[in-house]
Amino acid sequence: MIPRRSLLKAAAAGGAVAGVGGFSALSKWAAPLLADSGDGFDPFRAPEAGDIDDASHVINRLTFGPRPGLHQEVTRIGARAYIARQLDADSIDDRWTDARARRFEALHAWPLGELLEYDSRELLDQLTRHKILHATRSRRQLKEVMVDFWSDHFNIDPSKGDSRWLKPADDRHVIRAHALGKFPDLLKASVLSPSMLWYLDGRVNQRASASGGPNENHARELLELHTMGVHGGYTQRDVMEVARCLSGWTVRERAKDRFAVGKVEFNPERHDDGPKTVLGSTIPAGLGEGDLDRVIDLLVRHPSTARFIAEKLCRRFIADTPPPSAIKVVADTFSRSAGDLRTTLGALFETPEFWASRGNRIKRPFHFVVSALRATAARTDGGPALQDHLLRLGHAPFQFPTPDGYPLEARPWMATLLWRWKFALDLAGQAIPGTSFPEERLVTSAGSQASFAAHLLGRLPTPEEMVAATSSGAPLAMLLASPAFQTF
Amino acid sequence: MNSQVTTFVNDQRDASGTLVVVFLRGGADGLNMIVPHGDDHYHTARPGIGIRRGETIDLDGFFGLNRHLAPLHPWWNSGDLALVHCAGSEDESRSHFEAQDFMEHGGLAAGGWLGRFLRARPDAGQSPLTAVAIGATLPECLRGSPSAAAIQSIDEFGLGPAAPPAFLEGLAALYRATPGELGPAGRSALAAVDRIQALTANRHAPANGADYPADPFSTGLRQIARLIKGRVGLQAATIDLGGWDSHITSPVIMDGPMQQLARGLHAFATDLGAAELASTQVVVMTEFGRRVAENSAAGTDHGRGGAMFLFGGGVAGGKIHVDWPDLDTQLTGPGDLPVLNNYRDVLAPVLARLAPGTDLSAVLPGHPLQPLPLYS
Repeated sequence: MIPRRSLLKAAAAGGAVAGVGGFSALSKWAAPLLADSGDGFDPFRAPEAGDIDDASHVINRLTFGPRPGLHQEVTRIGARAYIARQLDADSIDDRWTDARARRFEALHAWPLGELLEYDSRELLDQLTRHKILHATRSRRQLKEVMVDFWSDHFNIDPSKGDSRWLKPADDRHVIRAHALGKFPDLLKASVLSPSMLWYLDGRVNQRASASGGPNENHARELLELHTMGVHGGYTQRDVMEVARCLSGWTVRERAKDRFAVGKVEFNPERHDDGPKTVLGSTIPAGLGEGDLDRVIDLLVRHPSTARFIAEKLCRRFIADTPPPSAIKVVADTFSRSAGDLRTTLGALFETPEFWASRGNRIKRPFHFVVSALRATAARTDGGPALQDHLLRLGHAPFQFPTPDGYPLEARPWMATLLWRWKFALDLAGQAIPGTSFPEERLVTSAGSQASFAAHLLGRLPTPEEMVAATSSGAPLAMLLASPAFQTF
Repeated sequence: MNSQVTTFVNDQRDASGTLVVVFLRGGADGLNMIVPHGDDHYHTARPGIGIRRGETIDLDGFFGLNRHLAPLHPWWNSGDLALVHCAGSEDESRSHFEAQDFMEHGGLAAGGWLGRFLRARPDAGQSPLTAVAIGATLPECLRGSPSAAAIQSIDEFGLGPAAPPAFLEGLAALYRATPGELGPAGRSALAAVDRIQALTANRHAPANGADYPADPFSTGLRQIARLIKGRVGLQAATIDLGGWDSHITSPVIMDGPMQQLARGLHAFATDLGAAELASTQVVVMTEFGRRVAENSAAGTDHGRGGAMFLFGGGVAGGKIHVDWPDLDTQLTGPGDLPVLNNYRDVLAPVLARLAPGTDLSAVLPGHPLQPLPLYS
């Protein structure tokens, strides 16, 4: 769709700073922008530097992109103060988002068995909308970025077995509860998540007996993907020993149990209670369900885990191939703080490597879509039309089939540009049912077409970008489709 | 500039082939499609709705094709079409939903088998237009695909007809000047846009005198053929044909869908022509077959073993793959054809041909694969 009344189109062609008044005329009545109530925004000051400044960089990395006014807010309080505030997510007033999140009643079902009353497609839809709501509107943006990170790290595709009813509980009690908490708590919650016990077959892992035997799937992924990394130095023997430690944990199943479906239980009869040796440490016989805490402790303390988590965090926040110097600092902090995620992230955000690498990462499709919605102050129901775009982009939430989660690196996403451009055209053309943005107010509030472009790109646009935008017939779409908007 | 990022859309890439999956929803009665006319037990079990010996198109003296499938017969004769009988999954629920779900996921597994395949193949995620589903929604088998678009018409594909020409020029200018991986990726996407726009602008008649009927199934196949011929990098397409749930008056229910299936596929294969068909694989599947004995309403109830059809490049056609069971003593459950060919053993050789080197045990888990010898 060609936007009929395209944003920016009315401005004089080629006049990079032409517009309705320029910033100085607006600044007099620019209200404080901290309180982003509802979908409101006021006239705002966009980035004014030719390169990505500190505020833009921090917004790029710690959030799903600037909403109107965010750059001005971060500039006012200081980029480092903004980081500190985001790390202390609980102190951020997010009532607007919380109130809307409560509308997803299925996601708050309790006891878990209530979830099974729902059509599983309805649950996936609510989960997806809930995620889109938070990514676009929550003021606890770093927390949402980490929710996204851990959702992939502890990936569950809920289309397997009872998982399709139980993933909402994982999202709430595992990922969201501990996204900025302590890694050992997150890890233990994940191991005992009913959805994960389904997804990685932990529910059928038991001591060898007539009724079955060990299933190593969960133990292997626990070592390979969740903690130490594939080259972390564990052996096949460690995998088998960890599987023995985890044996006996199971979930009440929809097909077998009438009551308390989804409840996680430890069945001593199914547990292998003999002595084990994990990563060179002995776990004595007879600990029963206590084996789990021993395993968690051994894994969290292991230097490979610190390094593996640090490397992934640095990949997310610094570069596809993160500098070893930064990984070391972050890994050391992880170890010293026993996996305290706020402390660990705080250290990452202080590395010179974090501050030095700007605009060098490529947004994943979900990030791209959400950043476009945020930049245009769009209202969205997160419904079928928007989800269809995410499917075309190969990045629909909760739909990655294998346990490794959607990749963080750029390369697997390089073939998604065509659908990004299509999204840019459809969004700019107000052609996505259930999603719209206040075109006129954005124009007015940005002050000029160049400053609006600077708001989108996190820096002043280049002359080439302005020429491409103004001559394109769809200037907003062009800026959203441009190479610069794909990066952060 | 990164040399590993190349132009993804080119003639070479489509040479690796397109998989077309046709799902017959409702449980198609394989026994009345590929009729064992030489089996007395078949005629005894179906005194009313059985297809008489002389009424089938004989294939090999024992099996005959239902005459409503006649348009497929030339493809059997030319060796392009292979048939698999007693095909299905190990799901015993005989529930449409459960059986379709099981089959499309590939057992108790996360994601769909086709989605996993498209992620697992060695050249995964390089084409901007990996997969399309003809219809309003994506089928479960495509869950987890690197990219999948549900489309009703080719006009919804790519940027759509409304993308202003200057928009593409602007993109070309910006991406041309972009270093790193984005530049080549942008040029590849622009090449795909060009291909699609050429396709949508081009209203040429189907090739080789192919005559597509006007029903939605054939219309969908026609769109798929255009995408294949347009070489836009399509790796997989799915399309459904419903209406097979023949509990009552079997011929009334099934004759129409059989005609649609056969006429549509005939037009599709004709339209593609030998060269394009050589790099295309078509698999026709259904969630289960039906009870061997007819019921009191001249229909059949939900069963187990069904039929699969395969045609495309390299197929060792003109052959029915089945070790035919004794219909008196070797039925399963309440009197159903047994599943002697797990559908994964039919899919596995097809996927191996399309993308050699793919780890098929990850794509089709939960079953020790014994691929059928479907190719020459």
